[in-house]
Amino acid sequence: MKYIYITIALITLLFTVSCKHDEWLHRDPKDIITDEQLWNDPVLLTSLLANYYDRLPQMHGVFNTGGMAEIDDAMWSGHRDQNWRNDFQYGDDYGRYWDYDLIRDINLSLENIEEYSINLEPEQKQLFIAELRFIRAFVYFELVKRMGGVPIVTEQLIYDFAGDPTYLQIPRAKEHEVYDFVYDELEAVKDALSLNKTSRTRANTVTALALQSRAMLYAASIAKYNAQMSAPISTPGGEVGIPASMANDYYTKSLNASKAILSNPDYSLYDANSDKGANFYDMLNSKSSTEVIFAKDFKVGVKPHRFTYDNIVKSFTEDNESSSTLTPSLSFVESFEYLDGSTGALRIKDGSGNYIRYEHPSDLFAEKDPRLSGTVVYPGATFKGKEVSMQAGVAVWENGGYQFRTSAVLGSQYEYKDESGATQRVLWTGFDGPLDNAQDVSNTGFYIRKFVSDAPGASARGTSAENWWPWFRMGEIYLNAAEAAFELGEADAVNYINTLRERAGFAPNSIATLTTDIIRNERRVELAFEDHRFFDLKRWRIAHLVWNGSESGVNAVVRGLYSYQIVRPGHPDHGKYIFETIRPTRFRRARLFRMANYYSSIDQNVLNNNPKLVRNPFH
Amino acid sequence: MKIKKFIFITFIAMTCTFTGCEYDNFTEPTSTLHGRIVYGGEPVGVRTNGPQLELWDEGQELSAQFPIHIAHDGTFSAVVYDGEYKLVRKANSPWLPALTDTVVVQVNGHTEIDIPVQPYFTVSNNNIQQNEGIVTVTFTLNKIVETANLDNVNLYFGKNILIDDIRHDHKSSFAGADVTIDGTNTVTAHIPEHLSGLGYIFVRIGVKASASSELYYTQVQKIDL
Repeated sequence: MKYIYITIALITLLFTVSCKHDEWLHRDPKDIITDEQLWNDPVLLTSLLANYYDRLPQMHGVFNTGGMAEIDDAMWSGHRDQNWRNDFQYGDDYGRYWDYDLIRDINLSLENIEEYSINLEPEQKQLFIAELRFIRAFVYFELVKRMGGVPIVTEQLIYDFAGDPTYLQIPRAKEHEVYDFVYDELEAVKDALSLNKTSRTRANTVTALALQSRAMLYAASIAKYNAQMSAPISTPGGEVGIPASMANDYYTKSLNASKAILSNPDYSLYDANSDKGANFYDMLNSKSSTEVIFAKDFKVGVKPHRFTYDNIVKSFTEDNESSSTLTPSLSFVESFEYLDGSTGALRIKDGSGNYIRYEHPSDLFAEKDPRLSGTVVYPGATFKGKEVSMQAGVAVWENGGYQFRTSAVLGSQYEYKDESGATQRVLWTGFDGPLDNAQDVSNTGFYIRKFVSDAPGASARGTSAENWWPWFRMGEIYLNAAEAAFELGEADAVNYINTLRERAGFAPNSIATLTTDIIRNERRVELAFEDHRFFDLKRWRIAHLVWNGSESGVNAVVRGLYSYQIVRPGHPDHGKYIFETIRPTRFRRARLFRMANYYSSIDQNVLNNNPKLVRNPFH
Repeated sequence: MKIKKFIFITFIAMTCTFTGCEYDNFTEPTSTLHGRIVYGGEPVGVRTNGPQLELWDEGQELSAQFPIHIAHDGTFSAVVYDGEYKLVRKANSPWLPALTDTVVVQVNGHTEIDIPVQPYFTVSNNNIQQNEGIVTVTFTLNKIVETANLDNVNLYFGKNILIDDIRHDHKSSFAGADVTIDGTNTVTAHIPEHLSGLGYIFVRIGVKASASSELYYTQVQKIDL
């Protein structure tokens, strides 16, 4: 009996006492993050932002080797399965971009952060909102520069299942309205971004100004140069084409943004190395936080990239495949001026058509703009402290002329008889080529140095590279300021260019009178392979003239330059080097940019879904 | 018994494999649509792989178009199903775009069609003479579209029959200001050295209107040297 009482007492005790631990039964699920948790946790929100930053769009940028090989600065010398990049025509959809998934994700975030965030510090909340709006403005800028005016969507579009979706069909905004939207958004958020002042991988005030500087310059030049075409590209509704009268306003906005950046003491042109060529290379390779305004960072072991694996000089690779994919063109190399200010055409033959002999292959490139050696590896140059083995072949003197002989085996020796009849050997075709119609060795006679990391293991797929990608840097801001000031007729425009050229290695005040051509060439050499040239030529409305599809077009065809060692025993020229231009066999079709490529076509499925969208011109 | 069942199942499976396809395969289209781009009954020459027409197949749930490529002499052909199609003359061609003024095409077996266009300029009465390495061309340049502006007139030489503004072995350009519009013109050009040793070359005239990056071309002519 006693036993029963004790049992009942124990059970009663269990029931009455245990209920106090009610919350013990309420566990937060371990596999679901609720809205309340996400939008109130700065760590989770930073992680979400990282995803959006990672999705920022590019076209020929962010170490996109293939894209960089599709214009006139370089050709594809890598695996043959992608030789179509040397044999294609810009299609109607070339450069098409319609990423409303990302826009929708950002809009969703903006709405949720307003609705759920209650525990965040007000400043921090404002910072997250500002960053999201910066990313959205960045995406809209990419949309407008490729597609023209696009629908501006700033909230989630949710279908009500009532059978009528017309209220979700948003028509395209005018082209200038999208540029205005980008400007106004950045204007609204730039002060809130100042909390990120020390960051170079999250947007801060200067990043917003840099995007303004670039976007307004694009809008201004489209307004100006579209109107100057014999048949301006436009649609009746203004979805494409900006009135010429708006140009000055846009140039002014761009210049003001650039000036605000230039007066910021935290940023300056990188100038740490007295060897100017090396300085230009280090500027991007060393993660300089004064030159670079906004970057996409990479980290070995976490998130590396394979640009070095793709493009390192052939014999320097630490991997068993690839290398040498992106090989710069002769027209690009020749766009670098000489230090005395003369045009960059290389001195290959003298006035009477004879080859000019050089003691050392690199002598041909002496006295060139030092940025050339910081951007391109040419014959006789050094990489990682070692001279590259670049030589296309030998030039044997026979019957009163030079016979060019090349070997299919890289690094092989050429045998010849000297005056005494003894057999001698010289290097035939170098270990780094160039070799025509070959794979994974330069076909143009040049390699790219810019962005190719010299860190140990950077070219091995197991390690890969971690140098970062510059979205915006001071070099561009100087060029933006120069162009805007020049277009506005301001006298100090030339100073911006001269400051930049002084950093590059030119003497002070190397340019007396600024012209459009100087600005354009300066952008080509300074900003090469940084995802600018395609869009620059588009906004100046000269892409169809530069890439005219003609076999005789200087920039439409990618040419190369091959170096040969002279074999002429007993003659003073024996052992010297001469150069000959080449049209690489693998480069099959001249670049042809048609009027239809100024604005990409909109996908037919998108048009089917939204009948209010008008097509782009020529599509 | 077990083996008999196995054979039976195999037999059924094979029957399904070999006869089933009839239900989910379409037969390929067999009707051919042939046509020419014409102005005033004369075919209009274009750049190979340049201007396009668009053929729209309506009546499906969603619109779908496919491009029709035009050969250098202004002809085109496509293999399609029988039915009604809409043909659109797109922009960036040497003629006025007619995006809303579609041509309805009834395809039934082998169908021939002429597509009329309004070129900005045309060339007529062209006569090409060669003498001592100098080619003399007389032609009449007609302005068809009132608002059109002339950029230039070009004379192309080529070793092959496919010649145009992009593919040619020699090009002589004459600025619009030097050409009489709606009148007879005579232009001359030297045959360059690398072509003069050949037995014959192909010659063609191209007219560039400022409204389009594509040129109007005459039919290619072969001249003996």
